[in-house]
Amino acid sequence: MKKTMRLLFTLTALALGSSASAAATKNLNIYCWSEYIPQPIIDQFAKETGVKVTVENYASNEEMLSKLAAGGGEYDIIQPSEYVVEALVKEKVLHPINHSKIPNLKNIEPQFLNMAFDPGNKFSVPFMAGTVGIIVNTDLVKDEIKGFSDVFKPANKGKIVVLDDAREIVSWALLSNGLNVNQVTEKNLNKIKPVLEQWLPLVKVYDSDSPKTALLNGDVSLGVVWGGEGAILLNKNKKFRWVIPSEGTHLFIDSLAIPKTAKNVDNAEAFMNFILRPEISKQISEEFPYLNPNLAARELMTKKQLENPASFPSDEEMKKMQIFKDIGTRGSDVEELITTLKAQ
Amino acid sequence: MSGFLGSSSGVPPKGTHHRDPGLWAWIFLSPLILWLLLFVIAPTAMLTLVSFAERDSLGRILWNFSLQNYARAFDWVWLKILLDSLFYAFLTTVICLALGYPAAYFIGRAPERWRGFLLMLVMVPFWTSFLIRTYAWISILSKEGLLNSLLISAGIFSEPVSLLYSPFAIVLGLVYNFLPFMILPIYTSVEKLDNAMVEAAYDLGAGPLRAFSQVIIPLTRPGIAAGAMLVFVPSIAMFAITTLMGGGTNPTIGEVIFKQFTAGRNQPFGAALGTILLFVFILALWLARSQRERED
Repeated sequence: MKKTMRLLFTLTALALGSSASAAATKNLNIYCWSEYIPQPIIDQFAKETGVKVTVENYASNEEMLSKLAAGGGEYDIIQPSEYVVEALVKEKVLHPINHSKIPNLKNIEPQFLNMAFDPGNKFSVPFMAGTVGIIVNTDLVKDEIKGFSDVFKPANKGKIVVLDDAREIVSWALLSNGLNVNQVTEKNLNKIKPVLEQWLPLVKVYDSDSPKTALLNGDVSLGVVWGGEGAILLNKNKKFRWVIPSEGTHLFIDSLAIPKTAKNVDNAEAFMNFILRPEISKQISEEFPYLNPNLAARELMTKKQLENPASFPSDEEMKKMQIFKDIGTRGSDVEELITTLKAQ
Repeated sequence: MSGFLGSSSGVPPKGTHHRDPGLWAWIFLSPLILWLLLFVIAPTAMLTLVSFAERDSLGRILWNFSLQNYARAFDWVWLKILLDSLFYAFLTTVICLALGYPAAYFIGRAPERWRGFLLMLVMVPFWTSFLIRTYAWISILSKEGLLNSLLISAGIFSEPVSLLYSPFAIVLGLVYNFLPFMILPIYTSVEKLDNAMVEAAYDLGAGPLRAFSQVIIPLTRPGIAAGAMLVFVPSIAMFAITTLMGGGTNPTIGEVIFKQFTAGRNQPFGAALGTILLFVFILALWLARSQRERED
């Protein structure tokens, strides 16, 4: 009882506190991926501008979407991936950004601007890009690995870690069948089902948050992981090798955007411009070595960082990459397909 | 928890007066009632409502009445995952009981000045976050982890064995996290155990085995029942441990519901699965209760 009372008091205090702080104007509420914007950078922005920054994290685009759709939280900055920007633009829930407030947008490499999911960057600015590829522990795997078909072989049973992400897994199977990653139709899902039926029983670990752990601990010897995770493994140990799948792979672009419900648009735009500063962007790359689309930041980076093949694919490899489009309600079917096969 | 234990101890002893609760009683109860309304009744009602709705391409809920979520939920896949989860939960409960009963009995029968200290030892690991404890297990069980290096240097194994990311690791993680929920209620029963009853059993010629099975166990049954429920029910839906330690290869019902709410952008379907799970819980509690009433 005493506990209940205390809890009720705390809840009341919280409710009062949040309504009181909403009245202030020097605020910025960020809703971003966990492990993506280093805390020192947030602190520096707060110190420079005097803005009180609150950060909340999510672990998947859909987690953010469902919270945004439910109307929970008044966020000023969100960090959606390309296909989610596309959906949010289509549903008209983003606030158009004022380019004159974000002069640092000129630092971004042109190939990451004006993309199909947001023509003219009316609603989003690129934060980081990256890819998905194969990481191999060459101490344990002697066969040459070129693509998905070399990873998912019976010889590698129980040695594989993959991202715990149904859309990703389905896109690899689509690529292996010569299909585009966005051709997620019922017919194509049926077509790739036999492939996935062979692949999934070979997998030992599904992990999207930190697939490098199982690789570092030696529990698995190869995996299909995010480029940033691969880059960290390459830096840690020479035994790891990075392979861009010969079948092609997926290029993702994570952006910053402002929801229409935002209360502090000016601060949000200032934050966007701050993130695109070369020295800030470089600092982010040091902690999370993804493909940095900021050309001015790349000039500040070391040769070793720029030559990490998991962070920066070659131009030729970039040409083979495909960008996810929003698949809307199909997501649930994709999820069901993978769950069904896992449960068998 | 206290409400749960209270209801499991059954009918009030004979001779207690039945009175209508006065105004003060309602005032004192109001925080609890408010709590139940806000955090049990309201979310459950919302979950059930959402399970009959539809959703749009962004995952927003559309309030059109539909039974399609239930039609989809009664499929062998989901049933199999539910049965798997029930099996893991059952196994966890049995192991927790086997490990927890002797521990609780020992603590409950220990000299009084030791009991507090021993109970604290049960709780100490739970002062850190369960994620940290789970990651600690990952570093113990992994191929290049503590346990494997110990076993190899002791000469028991010649090469590392795969302990992590297996059903073994799932059950280990569940048992480790839920064991105190078994020990504490049994301890309360054991502590209240009347020594005279046990002595009487011996005086009347019962051996230790008979005294245990026919006197001690029945007298501590409320603790066992409460402990079993406290372990079984949350084990069914637990997904963080099963994904982290099991490697996500054996989906559990909790994980499937979580994924429909997030990546699937299908809250109504997740809610339908959740509502079905809720009915399983209610059924389990009701069966346990009617069993007890028959025995009484």
